[in-house]
Amino acid sequence: MKDILDKIVNLATEKFSAEYVEVRVQKLCKTMLTLKEKNFEAAKQGIENGAAVRVLVNGAWGFASVGMLDPKTLTEAVSDACKMAKAASSKLRTPIKLVEAKAVEDKVLLNVRKNPANVSIEDKLKTTLTMSETILQYDVRMKSCTIDYLDLNGTNYFANNEGTYIEQDKLYVWSRITATAAESGIFTFSREEIGSTAGYEIFDVETPEVVGERVAKRAVEQLKATPPKGGIFPAVLGPNVVGVFVHEAFGHLAEADLTLCGSVLLGKIGKKIASDIVTFYDDGTLEGSFGSFKYDDEGIPAQKTLLVKDGVVVGLMHSRETAHKLNMKPTGNARAEDFRVEPLIRMRNTFMEPKNHTFEELTEDIKFGYYFKSFRGGQANLDGTFQVGIQEAYEIVNGELGKPVRNASISGNTLETLFKVDAVGKDFELWPGRCGKGQTAFVCDGGPHVRVKEVLVGGST
Amino acid sequence: MAALKKEELLDQAESAVDFALKRGAEEAEAFTYQGSATNVVIERGQIAKGSRIIDRGVGIRVIINKTLGFSYTNVLENKAAIEETVNKALSLAKAGKPDENWHSLPSKKTLPPVENTFDNKIVQLSSEDLIKIASVMLNAAQKVSNKVFPIEGGVGAAYLSKAIANSNGISVFDHGTIMECSLATIAQESGEVTPVCFEFNSERSYSLNPEWVGAEAARLALSALKAKRTETKTTSIIFTQIALQELLHFTLVNAVNADSVQRDQSALKGKIGEEVASDIVSIYDDGMLSGGLRTWKFDDEGVSRRKTPIIEKGVLTNFIYDNYTAKKEGKESTGNAARAGYLSTPSAEATNFHIKSGNKSHEQLLRDVDDGLLVYYLQGAHSSNPVSGEFSVVAAPAWKIEKGKLAYAVRGAMLAGNIFDVLKNISELANNERKTGELVAPWVRIENVKVIGK
Repeated sequence: MKDILDKIVNLATEKFSAEYVEVRVQKLCKTMLTLKEKNFEAAKQGIENGAAVRVLVNGAWGFASVGMLDPKTLTEAVSDACKMAKAASSKLRTPIKLVEAKAVEDKVLLNVRKNPANVSIEDKLKTTLTMSETILQYDVRMKSCTIDYLDLNGTNYFANNEGTYIEQDKLYVWSRITATAAESGIFTFSREEIGSTAGYEIFDVETPEVVGERVAKRAVEQLKATPPKGGIFPAVLGPNVVGVFVHEAFGHLAEADLTLCGSVLLGKIGKKIASDIVTFYDDGTLEGSFGSFKYDDEGIPAQKTLLVKDGVVVGLMHSRETAHKLNMKPTGNARAEDFRVEPLIRMRNTFMEPKNHTFEELTEDIKFGYYFKSFRGGQANLDGTFQVGIQEAYEIVNGELGKPVRNASISGNTLETLFKVDAVGKDFELWPGRCGKGQTAFVCDGGPHVRVKEVLVGGST
Repeated sequence: MAALKKEELLDQAESAVDFALKRGAEEAEAFTYQGSATNVVIERGQIAKGSRIIDRGVGIRVIINKTLGFSYTNVLENKAAIEETVNKALSLAKAGKPDENWHSLPSKKTLPPVENTFDNKIVQLSSEDLIKIASVMLNAAQKVSNKVFPIEGGVGAAYLSKAIANSNGISVFDHGTIMECSLATIAQESGEVTPVCFEFNSERSYSLNPEWVGAEAARLALSALKAKRTETKTTSIIFTQIALQELLHFTLVNAVNADSVQRDQSALKGKIGEEVASDIVSIYDDGMLSGGLRTWKFDDEGVSRRKTPIIEKGVLTNFIYDNYTAKKEGKESTGNAARAGYLSTPSAEATNFHIKSGNKSHEQLLRDVDDGLLVYYLQGAHSSNPVSGEFSVVAAPAWKIEKGKLAYAVRGAMLAGNIFDVLKNISELANNERKTGELVAPWVRIENVKVIGK
């Protein structure tokens, strides 16, 4: 493979005078199952092989993607990418440059106990079916469930004109479980995801029974829940919600491409944006985590990036382009979903560092507020307005957990809210998920329990 | 990589089906797809990138003893690769478990004529042509004000074609074009940053208006400055099409999907014939809409597209079906099967979800509101409860309406409620219909929405 990629790289620099060229080749197999109640929609398998060529010509990007790997098609792709770059450069004002990177030659092999490629399809069917049975048998009020299962196995090849050549094996195992319950006109919905880069052994910990019960229990308990009051309240956020808050409300703003678009973090490096007890990381090196990998799709080693230390912004997440633009070091955050698309700055495992409080200490001083335990979705805006939709929440009354609350969401301004974090727990959980930014990236988010003095709660009563 | 011709795509699909039947499939279906797209990308105020993407592949479903196996590949170069894909689908079907609800693949029917889904001009556009369009859009935005920063956007032109063959005699081909330009902007002034403002124009024919998109994206951002908090109260809301699409996509569109209804995941179950919306509301799922973004001759199982009334004058009339959900009830598919290209099995989805317009101009709609909010986009609509229809979202950007005029931009306002109450509280529909995602709709006015401000 190296010989072919080298030829393609040379063609771009010699024939089209590209300043930079990278070629990514992907060979990928996927196995997917969708189970609705007890019916399998189909057992599914597929192959996705392809190549992506990205070049800089006259300071502009050109990109071409093809689903074939023969030399003729790859040659056409290089030519397409260079021509696109040349055309785009005609209106360019500020040429794009990349931060320097050390050339790497490496071969990254998998280190998993149970490679899903060696697990029979019958076993996978059984795992999902057990989840479904656990959910539907949990309570007569459970009405439906959908289990999606995916495993993805393959190799990525990367070469650029700076001497980097990487072969990297890829492995992901993922499942999404959704379930609904209904009783006298009330409908509840509960979801959960599991995901790992460590292999099929994830189901030894997150067993179908454990996951199934967690999803079903939530759906049933939400049946007696009431909508929250709308307004400003003190709140305790669970690790799952803290994770999505760090990811959505802060993380996206610290993706340097979005920072440069004018996010509220622009110009804030070295400035205080949160209370002293707030420290955030984005870490691509946690072994087996859903957001981990050894090299990103620009050939930069993944690392543990400190973003906020004791309330002060100390880092952003970079591609080679943004690192150059802001005169900072690359962080290994450039990720491409597959060969069809270009690398973008994406998060990896993003989390808040735990401190020293117990859960009881966080709730005890709250007269009336909410405990937001588990999220359904979230979204941030460049102006720092965040929204996190909540699937599991409880009232806190005089320091004690009270009635369940359904379909709440919380919102506020990130920077204002970060200053209102007034106590951080000592526990820690990391949750897998998928992040959408035009492309899908596999990530984890997490942290400890956290208390926030006040947050806007969107409730209909 | 030369584009595959109609005959080649059909031939690949038919021979995959033949091979599957020979190898023991009771039923078989092949879906061949190819898409090629040229894009020019705007990043942080300049045209910085050009790209060309070609993607194609085949997805094969086989059925043995009511058990489905599916396999796909994007390796189409040789017969062996496709045959291997068929074999994989067969072994998956043999390993799987029967689905008692499986009936049969759809049968052959005459296809309807559809209009304005292909324009050769789009196919022939060069990257230089696209750059010209992107420049017009960018310049139009930059002319509005130097407080406005175009953060991202671009122009894209795509040609898509697909062929479907199955063992019940279906063998169909269709192709189409689509073109889009879009621009996202923010405005900045003395430390204030607006939420992202966005405009776009998608068409099946060569008829974009990049100047309007650029100018409008910039105007929105500029007028989103000097935003204030608003009070918590129950009030009138005007939703633009983009906000409405976000809200409906995760709630109502799910609720009318037969799969949700059959599986107790829809609050509309058992409500056919009942009044579920205000009597001025009529909604059609129109797979044949002229120039519709989701208009094709047939759906992704080869079933003829059609126009299905969903809500007529407030009364729920139909749900949308693919082949599987329809046959489960002994009904006919409404032609709503959709796939993620060649990568997935089909499932029911809305085509062009068309809300019938009213008579008033959107300016008049605004003038008639004494006190309320104009909401352009929503943040967090995907976190709605898809089953109950309950939502709790941020309106951004949004503007306060006082005595028929936009008074000021509103920051951080949340809206909470239930989509089925919203449908009943629709009091007016404007006449400014446009296409956004699956939705074709005008601005709508809704009463009694809970706004949580400060």
